[in-house]
Amino acid sequence: MWQQVELALSQSAHRALVTLANFLPGLLALLLAVLILTAIGALLAALLKRLLTAIRFDERLSHNTLVPLDWAPSHGPTLLVARAVFWANVVLGFLIGISAFDAAYAGNSQMSFFLLPYLTHSVGAILLFIAGTILARFLARTVLIEAVNARLQYARFLSVGVKWLVLVLTAATVLDHLEIGGTVVDLAFGILFGGIVLTLSLAIGLGSRDIVSRSLEKNVETEPLPPDFISKPQTTTETLRHF
Amino acid sequence: MASSPINTVSTKPDTGAPAGATVLIHLSTVSPEILEPTLSNLAVAFVDQPALVAIPESANLNSTRTFDSLRLLPYAPAAASKTQWVHTAADYLNTYKLAQENNATTCILLGAEPQTLQPESIRHLARTMLDSSADLVVSHYHLGAREGLVNSAILYPLTRALFCARPRFPLAMDVALSFRMAERLATAAQRFTATNQEDALLWPVSEAATAGYSIGEVSVPSRAIPQPATQDLNALLSQILASLFADIDSRASFWQRMRTTVPPRTIAAAPTPAEQLDVTPMLDAFHLAYKNLHEIWALVLPPHTLLGLKRLSVMPQEAFRLADNLWARIVYDFVLAYRLRTINRGHLLGALTPLYLAWVASHLILVQSGVPPEQHIEEVAQAFEADKPYLVSRWRWPDRFNP
Repeated sequence: MWQQVELALSQSAHRALVTLANFLPGLLALLLAVLILTAIGALLAALLKRLLTAIRFDERLSHNTLVPLDWAPSHGPTLLVARAVFWANVVLGFLIGISAFDAAYAGNSQMSFFLLPYLTHSVGAILLFIAGTILARFLARTVLIEAVNARLQYARFLSVGVKWLVLVLTAATVLDHLEIGGTVVDLAFGILFGGIVLTLSLAIGLGSRDIVSRSLEKNVETEPLPPDFISKPQTTTETLRHF
Repeated sequence: MASSPINTVSTKPDTGAPAGATVLIHLSTVSPEILEPTLSNLAVAFVDQPALVAIPESANLNSTRTFDSLRLLPYAPAAASKTQWVHTAADYLNTYKLAQENNATTCILLGAEPQTLQPESIRHLARTMLDSSADLVVSHYHLGAREGLVNSAILYPLTRALFCARPRFPLAMDVALSFRMAERLATAAQRFTATNQEDALLWPVSEAATAGYSIGEVSVPSRAIPQPATQDLNALLSQILASLFADIDSRASFWQRMRTTVPPRTIAAAPTPAEQLDVTPMLDAFHLAYKNLHEIWALVLPPHTLLGLKRLSVMPQEAFRLADNLWARIVYDFVLAYRLRTINRGHLLGALTPLYLAWVASHLILVQSGVPPEQHIEEVAQAFEADKPYLVSRWRWPDRFNP
């Protein structure tokens, strides 16, 4: 019996090592492809940047267009082109690497069947995560500034709420894209999203009581003011003109 | 032209209009109800000088009586603008086209509610243009302490400090233009109208300063100032400042070389407003913003300025005072952040609104204490001039350490 256990273990170890040995060349090919294409991209971007700077590409572009182009100094057309070339090479490296990784296995290989979709989906998931994080920060700032300028006391709370709404949505989308969690993610997302929306609704509703009551008071006919109120020094905000 | 003195005009004695000078008066925003009183005023102003009066066809000229010295010129606008309280790219483009078609040598562009302008003011505007070597003459309105605050806080001090230009109202509604100035403005306007941005604002004073044209200013003692249709201060401030900051950005090579300062104005004593103004809402807005927007301001403002704002946030209402040099630094840092796109430009301009309200509150408290408003505005403008090297330095080397 002990021999059978030993045999089973050695066969299992052998299979694992064979799988690993098959897996490593594919992974190495992927890494090599990414590294080489990144290096080529960096080289091309540097050459292109030098060339475009030499021919004063930014100045020519701004002079030759009818529409005034508005570039920040750190995001000029030259830099944009150079970065585009660099990242195009990195993406190309990934594509070639994934293709090489796929080619390292037979079509019916279990490793290829399970790992390849994750690898390709993880690229999309990373992009989704980055986009979601940027969008969350942008919306949070927009809400914060608008709420402060509208003089809402719960401006920060509102901003944080919106930020987490978008982040939760992003996380759920990323997990769904990676096919992790299944219905658990859907359920958790529904609970979290609904909870945040309900909290925000309650906060806005309770916080806006004063605004609503003031708006209702405007419709009610104003009663004559008591004499002692009239004798106080009057202040006004109506005569202020910003323009 | 760089570092040259300011291009101010010297008005010659009133010797009548030069022979052959054709004056075109453009009423870009005039409704049928106010057409008659406006034309009556113009007839009085131009009693000894024939003038062409261009009026949009929509103003309905059929029932208007005739005036001897005025020749009415109904026209279909080449570009239409919805904004009426300030001149836009479409207005300047239409003015130039009308001047070109009618061989006008001088254009007078009157803003909304032109019937409230006194005939003397219109005559003075025209005479200054015709009798001097000016290419641009802008109106100087005499507003109350609580009016035209955006102009006093930002537009005037910035334009004066950067372009070394004297006009108190860089965005004046009533302006006189020489033909070459009208042509230059039309060229600038076309860049916007070509992309359907008819409502874009133009900055005639900076345009004239950059071109090396001479600029004049006439006093307009009384005039109803038209107000924007919307009451959303944040949106209006963003619209105007985005345009001004973009204009400053596009003319950086010019204003960085200008080293001169405008001679101080003589300030007449003004009566203190009897009615107290409640500045509490403005201070509340600032305090709320200080609590919530600090992290956004920290991306734009250097630590020294943030420290100044911290001190400001704990000041009691009676002693609330936003120092002039602190305000100048704040505005300069926002101009710079606009250029560098440190944060989204919409966010940036939104974050400036509470700081502007703090300046307004500080200004009004100072005026209530007996300081003439014009004197304070003059001091603010001088603070902007004194701090201009800071902007130039940070503009050139934005990454240099800035405590």
